[in-house]
Amino acid sequence: MDLYEYQARQLLDEQGIDTPRAIFVQRVEDVPQAAETIGYPVVVKAQVKIGHRGQAGGVKIARDRDEAVRAAEQILPMTIHGHRVHGVLIAEAESILHEYYVSISVDRSSRDFDVLATANGGTEVEQIAKEHPESVKRLHISALEDFDRRAATAMAASIGFYHADVDQAADILLKMWKCFHDNDATLVEINPLAKVGDPDDESTKRLCALDAKISLDGNAAFRHDGWTRFDDRATEDPYERKAAEHGLHYVHLDGQVGVIGNGAGLVMSSLDAVSFAGREQGTGVQPANFLDIGGGASADTMCQSLEIVLSDPQVESVLINVYGGITSCEQVALGIIEAIERLNVTKPMVVRFDGNAAAEGLTILADADIPNIHVAATMETAASEAARLAAQAKEETK
Amino acid sequence: MTVFIEDDAPVIVQGMTGHQGMTHTARMLKAGTNIVGGVNPRKAGTSIVFEDASGADVDVPVFATCAEAKASTGAKASVVFVPPRFAKDAVVEAVEAGFEVVVVITEGIPVADSAYFVELALRRGVRIVGPNCPGLMTLPSSADTHGVNLGIIPDGIVARGPLGLVSKSGTLTYQLMGELSDIGFTACLGAGGDPIVGTTLQEALEAFEADPDTKAVMMIGEIGGSAEQDAARWASEHMTKPVVAYIAGFTAPEGKQMGHAGAIVSGGKGTAQDKQEALEAVGIRVGRTPAQAAQYMREALAALG
Repeated sequence: MDLYEYQARQLLDEQGIDTPRAIFVQRVEDVPQAAETIGYPVVVKAQVKIGHRGQAGGVKIARDRDEAVRAAEQILPMTIHGHRVHGVLIAEAESILHEYYVSISVDRSSRDFDVLATANGGTEVEQIAKEHPESVKRLHISALEDFDRRAATAMAASIGFYHADVDQAADILLKMWKCFHDNDATLVEINPLAKVGDPDDESTKRLCALDAKISLDGNAAFRHDGWTRFDDRATEDPYERKAAEHGLHYVHLDGQVGVIGNGAGLVMSSLDAVSFAGREQGTGVQPANFLDIGGGASADTMCQSLEIVLSDPQVESVLINVYGGITSCEQVALGIIEAIERLNVTKPMVVRFDGNAAAEGLTILADADIPNIHVAATMETAASEAARLAAQAKEETK
Repeated sequence: MTVFIEDDAPVIVQGMTGHQGMTHTARMLKAGTNIVGGVNPRKAGTSIVFEDASGADVDVPVFATCAEAKASTGAKASVVFVPPRFAKDAVVEAVEAGFEVVVVITEGIPVADSAYFVELALRRGVRIVGPNCPGLMTLPSSADTHGVNLGIIPDGIVARGPLGLVSKSGTLTYQLMGELSDIGFTACLGAGGDPIVGTTLQEALEAFEADPDTKAVMMIGEIGGSAEQDAARWASEHMTKPVVAYIAGFTAPEGKQMGHAGAIVSGGKGTAQDKQEALEAVGIRVGRTPAQAAQYMREALAALG
């Protein structure tokens, strides 16, 4: 679960990591007062959960009220790389002397935590690693050990923080570690961690987190009040929200074939099969969603799933692909029949059953004799048929 | 010879008395697994009657701790069906008790907890399988022994044969087992769909490479992380047996978690395309569909003669 910059700042603030003064606003009319409170010049920054917002025009400097309002008017309605802007952060414009990069993340390969730092901050870390690989220092922290002051000081010294800054940088690294650990984060990244202040006045110089990215572990929500304070309902996809309320794993995509299956891997595989079929048939038909009904799903779960998938008006056909392990295909068949009766479904559905109670499930479907249910023997033929039916329906509605 | 765990190994179940635990303990016993105990401190001293593969009653005792269960039964493995918030303590207890293999079925464990018990297990020489996996199933190496079914993999899809299987996904495991059921397997291992797991794809390849009865390995990956690339790198240097792969998630969008906690493309990393390229670069064929992957496996076996 990714946080917005303004939320990530809250978590850094709670650890006592210095951030520029800033106010989050969502309406243009609130911008002048926020900017005056901060004091010009200010930086107007799009709040969006995707990188490269600067290149996309999502960050602007404003020297006065007119510029601030104009920047907000431009940024607030933007969609950056498919993500709608959620608001703007009006932040104090700092005078930057140097930019560093520091992050702590879960390292999936070495199965521990990874502290990454370089004195060449400011741009994306992948870019830095490509251009200055020798400058990027990393330290693995085992889950059985702690990150202590000695290690943090050595790390800070190794990337080239200047004398007086080493202690302060080590302090920030330790606070980041605490932020990472206490919040069950999977990523805490400060980029840039900037040396700011008046170049001629030593006393004004300090290290400050100018931008931050934090991702939290969704599996740990149970020990953090469900992360309700970072609830993002307003910008959530309405279908995804409804599915989550029913405890279903649903991801909304942009195609025409609704896909329902059991098990994340099998459903991803079904999406791929639909996409390949659309390409082969020359129709460009794509999957409309990912929906995993999970293990041991009941008829009720199946019925709710169909309801959500079919509420997407782009859906022209539905592929139901179930390999019964714990899940009984018989229960799935009952759910399909119930949904068809309750929701008066007329769109074509292609069903592929295998494994546990597949024969029983297919008998139920055959006995029900519903004209818009098609049965396929394999996942590949089912996906191909669902893609063909979707393209055909799309053609007819034109 | 058996891979991962010996035939007829005695096994205990943590969380046996819960709903999931009861259902799957009954299934595992039916499949011939030698389940000798359960663990639940609140129900210690009681016992539960199940049926074994022959239909005879078995009285399975409940112990207060893993250590006690291991001392009284000589169990070699534990299967964990404990809910996420209690899973860390349960797995740590199993690792400290010193079982050879601990299979963690639970989905939804915080990654910091998994990192902790996986590291502890690595230091103690205990093999963890999972979390968030369908389990480990071995097929018997002789007519008078039973294989071990640890977890929720359905029994009866496959018999003993020359293939090894490792997978990040449960249902794709069953799918490929079904596609290759006429050939058969030595063992099927669900590595799990979480970011940090106890047995990686590479570690499963290492075990299959060392097992003389396994002739070829089917590997099923999905988007997220770089376990497939790590496995490809290792295989190119050390693997003498053919590996065939299947990868799910070519159509997955950036930044969206596709069901499994670990199945996410982030910052342009962990795409199915990258994984396919890394595997093909070292000569591992990647099926475009599960059926095609099965076909490649048949061709690989035919080439072995």
